[in-house]
Amino acid sequence: MSQEEDSLTKNVRLRLGFADQLREVTVTTPKDEPRPWDADSALTVVGQPTPRVEGSLKASGAAVYTHDVRLPGMLYAAILRSPHACATLEHLDVAAALAQPGVVAAVPLAKVGDRLRFAGHDVAALAARSRDEARAALSAIAVRYRPEPFVVDTLEAMQPGAPQVHAAAVSERRTEGDEPGEASGGAARGNVRLGPSQSKGDHKKGLRQAKVTHSATYTTQVHTHSALETHSLVVRWEDPRRMTVWCSTQGIFSVRDEMAEIFGLKPADVRVITEHLGGGFGAKFGASAPGSRLGYAAGELARRAGAPVSLCLDRREEQLCTGNRPDSIQQVTLGAGADGALTAIHVVAHGSGGIATGAGVGRSAFGVYSRCPNIKVESHDVFTNAGPSTAFRAPGHPQGAFAIELAIDELAQKMGRDPLALRLAHVEHAVRRYQLELGRERFQWAARRAEAEARRARGARIRHGVGVACSIWGDYGRAKAAVVTVSVGRDGAIFVRNGAQDLGTGIRTVLGQVVAEVLGRPLAEVTVLIGDSELGPSVGSGGSQTTSSVAPAARNAAEMVRAQLAELAARLLDRPISELSWGTDGSARAGRRSLPFRELCQKIEGEAVVASATRPKTYGAHPMRYPGGDNYQIAGVQFAAVELDTWTGELRAAEILAIHECGRTHNPLTARSQVQGGVLLGVSYALMEARVIDRRFGQVLNPNLESYKIAGARDLPAIDVVFCEVHTGANSTGAVGIGEPATIPTAASIACAALHAIGRPVRSLPITPDRVLAALAGQDGA
Amino acid sequence: MSQSSAILLSLTLNGEPVQVAAPAHWTLLEVLRYKLDLIGSKQGCDKGDCGACTVQIDGLPALACLTLAALADGRSVTTVEALGCGPVVHPLLDAFDRHDAAQCGFCTPGILMAAESLLRRSARPVTRHEAASALAGNLCRCTGYTKILDAVVDASERLRAEHDDGR
Repeated sequence: MSQEEDSLTKNVRLRLGFADQLREVTVTTPKDEPRPWDADSALTVVGQPTPRVEGSLKASGAAVYTHDVRLPGMLYAAILRSPHACATLEHLDVAAALAQPGVVAAVPLAKVGDRLRFAGHDVAALAARSRDEARAALSAIAVRYRPEPFVVDTLEAMQPGAPQVHAAAVSERRTEGDEPGEASGGAARGNVRLGPSQSKGDHKKGLRQAKVTHSATYTTQVHTHSALETHSLVVRWEDPRRMTVWCSTQGIFSVRDEMAEIFGLKPADVRVITEHLGGGFGAKFGASAPGSRLGYAAGELARRAGAPVSLCLDRREEQLCTGNRPDSIQQVTLGAGADGALTAIHVVAHGSGGIATGAGVGRSAFGVYSRCPNIKVESHDVFTNAGPSTAFRAPGHPQGAFAIELAIDELAQKMGRDPLALRLAHVEHAVRRYQLELGRERFQWAARRAEAEARRARGARIRHGVGVACSIWGDYGRAKAAVVTVSVGRDGAIFVRNGAQDLGTGIRTVLGQVVAEVLGRPLAEVTVLIGDSELGPSVGSGGSQTTSSVAPAARNAAEMVRAQLAELAARLLDRPISELSWGTDGSARAGRRSLPFRELCQKIEGEAVVASATRPKTYGAHPMRYPGGDNYQIAGVQFAAVELDTWTGELRAAEILAIHECGRTHNPLTARSQVQGGVLLGVSYALMEARVIDRRFGQVLNPNLESYKIAGARDLPAIDVVFCEVHTGANSTGAVGIGEPATIPTAASIACAALHAIGRPVRSLPITPDRVLAALAGQDGA
Repeated sequence: MSQSSAILLSLTLNGEPVQVAAPAHWTLLEVLRYKLDLIGSKQGCDKGDCGACTVQIDGLPALACLTLAALADGRSVTTVEALGCGPVVHPLLDAFDRHDAAQCGFCTPGILMAAESLLRRSARPVTRHEAASALAGNLCRCTGYTKILDAVVDASERLRAEHDDGR
């Protein structure tokens, strides 16, 4: 460390770790950083299960979403979409639509000669006084397509001579929902392009050393986000150089920057408001996905019409055009020595994000069983004429976890080993090991495995199965990205301001808790203002980075406010500031004298004490890094118990035990909610959901919520959530993310439990009755 | 379609008589959201798959997106806005808040209307299974339903206790 850096940093001793594995660690932080909260910090607000501050708004239907924005003179937009899986636009004229009743403006979104690469690609947009006038007028747009050869099946697209989806190189679109560092960008051959790969040791040598090998192909389906609020934005021009945009987005600033770029405006002249949004799951970064120009459409229509325009996609458009989790075809080869130790893991994965990139399979195979010395994971994007993938809650990971975890179980079966013991033998991460051991007891692993095997042996109609799988994710809390402003007014009013959006995770509440904690005031006295770009820079809610980017910044700002108040109190009490302490009720104390918070506030000179702060990069004290960087590695495990009806092939998730960590759990109530939701998303992915696309016509057959089946209340397993709190020493509050890890291992654990119940693997998701019956009938892999 | 003539509807909306003119082909959801600016009932799929638009017609849950507005003429329609405007917080809303039953909150209005109807029609506290069956037509993509069912069962028990106390 240089002398200059040294003068800017300090060393603090912290007690870090988890459960009974706590130890003293020296952590280097910036000089002006408050002492990070550690295992010895006695907090009273942070860490308490706390209902959301906006709970009554949401529980009464009064919360306003982008769909609900109503402005004077507002017009409604509709979009004409190509019906062809691939076509060249031969003719387009929107003029006739302008003569239709109610229509005020129309704009082309594609040019003659453009190749429209999937059924649902934007062609033109118009705005009318009502929604149905807009939709009705679409048929008046004059358009002619020349259909082109297309390919929608991933395997077919990989064949030589398959119709070429992209004529030129595809630029990778990356959002805050994608994992940092996962960029691909290898050269394309046909429709196939090498994506992110990880490698250590020599997998070929490892396989040669193996005494037992297992090799099989695992496939997963295309999974759509299906957020209940469709993509939507409302644009109002304030003057020719400034606009206000209400947008259902998980990245307010990504929308601001995109709109500024499209219309040549200064970012500061684009205001984006997202008071509430109806789900995103990774699909809502920027104004639209590849192949769509929603931001341009709404903004240009509003400009031409001289009126605000609301563009809310309908459900069909949402399912076709706004994103999905790519499918995957993964060849997994494992090798193990005579002692059962893994000698090699090799995964070759292909997947299709339609016209877009992003079909990697995450880091489960590379990062979880890290005692294996030789690992290679190769991912490939396969382009098809289908709607684009976008980041989807832990991009790549659920599909990657499914393949490697089920393969591990098959190898264990082949070697006659307990799959949990095999995992414990290869997991290095201390927290993950602890979680596996905790789950073994809590889930009564041995007894339930034995009971399930006894049932199978006696030929019971209803069989049971028990499985386990792991998650891996990184702490992507970002330095200097979020600026949080805290103010305390003369009237004692406390405000927290930041331009973050609440994806539904409860960030408003966490911000309030952190500031209430530092200032020693009740949460009810803290007003949290978020969801507006005017409230200060912030991060997108993706990569499980919001809390760890924003909460430490809030603490740092609140500490600065408290320091200013302490100076004021010291003056008023006429004591040196070194004698001053801060009571848990927010009063300032020196010796026997104390000054209640409100009295102190009344003495503030001017309106308020205000401070803005950000957070530095992760302190880097953690021993277990996420592969490929300095980030803290977040561990989680899930245990699944399934029930199988051998007559019908119906497999039901009966029980999931989810053991996770998010560093210091700031709000156990909302964190638990996130894990429960992540688990059910995984159950639904494992057993039900699949986008179906017709190979001959290139059309999605279920762009809806009827035949695209997502889990309902009756499909719910019992979900037991356990948090294993870890004092990470990563930032001033100790927050790391939870949103993504919660859904990573669910489908994998269910697939492993299914193998246990059936005795044979179902190597394709979703695990539907036909596949189960085929496996029961003796077909390996189904 | 957009040329269809307007019709005049008379209905009782959240306890108040309302007259509204709307195109004859409009659904009840369109009238609520685009004529009356009652935006609590959500438009999630517009074809009866997600339940976010659930309202009550004469006290029974109904999908406003599949109900022609004309069919609500002369009837009593209740939307989520009615639940939130009482002098005391409705036990169901209170339970949703305490249990953290809403994450993004977009599906919540429809779920509240389906659940309230169930609770009002049940003579005894409802079981989790009954609650899950009553909500089988309401999709939620965030919560995983656990806390929604917790909240409905909790509210049901409190409503029963209040009812018994009142006797």
